[in-house]
Amino acid sequence: MHEISVASGILDRAITAAEEHGADRIDAITIEIGRATHVNPEQLVFCLETIADGTAGEGATVRTETVDPVAVCDCGWRDEPDDLGLVGGFAPDVRCPECGERTELVRGRECRLASIEVPEAGDRTEQTATQER
Amino acid sequence: MHYERTIRPIRLYRTNRATLPPVRWLEELADRLGAARAHRFGHGDHDHGESATDAEADVLAAIRERAGEIHETLAHDHGVFAVEFVGSTGGGKTKLIEELLERAPTDEQIGAIVGDVAGEDDATRLREYGIPVENVNTGKECHLDPGGIETALSAFDLEELDTLYVENVGNMVCPADFPLGATVRVLVVSTTEGDDVVAKHPLLVQKCDAAVVNKVDLAEAVGTDLDRVRADLARVAPDVPVFETDASSGAGVDELGDFLESKRGEHGHHGHDHEHDRVHHPGE
Ligand SMILES: [Zn+2]
Repeated sequence: MHEISVASGILDRAITAAEEHGADRIDAITIEIGRATHVNPEQLVFCLETIADGTAGEGATVRTETVDPVAVCDCGWRDEPDDLGLVGGFAPDVRCPECGERTELVRGRECRLASIEVPEAGDRTEQTATQER
Repeated sequence: MHYERTIRPIRLYRTNRATLPPVRWLEELADRLGAARAHRFGHGDHDHGESATDAEADVLAAIRERAGEIHETLAHDHGVFAVEFVGSTGGGKTKLIEELLERAPTDEQIGAIVGDVAGEDDATRLREYGIPVENVNTGKECHLDPGGIETALSAFDLEELDTLYVENVGNMVCPADFPLGATVRVLVVSTTEGDDVVAKHPLLVQKCDAAVVNKVDLAEAVGTDLDRVRADLARVAPDVPVFETDASSGAGVDELGDFLESKRGEHGHHGHDHEHDRVHHPGE
């Protein structure tokens, strides 16, 4: 439901990154969305495509990838936590299966710009510094 | 939709494109046919330094960071104990805050920030208690965000303030992704929302420090199985303390008040345990 504000944050960053690469057009944008968030992928794509009109991101292909939660525990356990098997909603189990302590989600709560694709054109001397990062 | 356009529009094509030399034109054509560079944003596991864009690539992490800054300002720079209330419209958030205001010692300096999509109704109710109240109309946005809190805070004298109540917009979805920097986040669900309300909104439950089940007096009348609500809370967020209240009569509010006071004491300038990115902890 807050996809518009999230989309504008993503687009802002994509445009800044394109500028850093000396590109004035973005061909594709890939976004990683954690399962332990309430960001709706379809709505996010729609919002992003809409607000990208008139910017360097206009017409860019927008892809999303789902990131499964990864939890870590102080005891050293690190894995995908069980989901709680809820009918109406999704939530990871907050307990460590090894020792029963609370775990910390290190993945699964993100909504991040994962990559952009920009044209290979432009002033090559400027690009060598930022290319293939 | 309401949207503040912050993006600087960038021209797509150079206006003098027609005059480009043929070689350049061919290059451009090739670009459009697919020869593209890809920039992948790092997880911090690249051997080169990340650019500013990489560090900000996660917009939700950036929001959490912003909430963390508000928390620093409130709790640590000014000693303000901030308590946020989240939950559906009509669940009784305002009434609970009113009950807490009734019980507050007369010398406690309290302020409130009230978020609503439109209107001032809740803010007007709280102003009757003679406290400063900032009303934040979020327009079509479904939640308060750290930016809105920051703006609202400028209306308060933080040095004077002991306690700040923040009443979020009635919504059980979005606030899960938007922490506000309060020291304690209290979820308010009411029995009139049905006995599956917790199971339907588990991510928000996990982002709270306490859960209030309000209107327990009505559970039977509306056919809500309180045991199911309790069991779901215990499963989804086993560490979150649960308070059962009937805010209309004030039943159970003392226990919630005592819990909040214990958190105020725990969370002073000293001995602050900063477990802020624990799964169930909202304070980020
Ligand atoms: Zn463990």
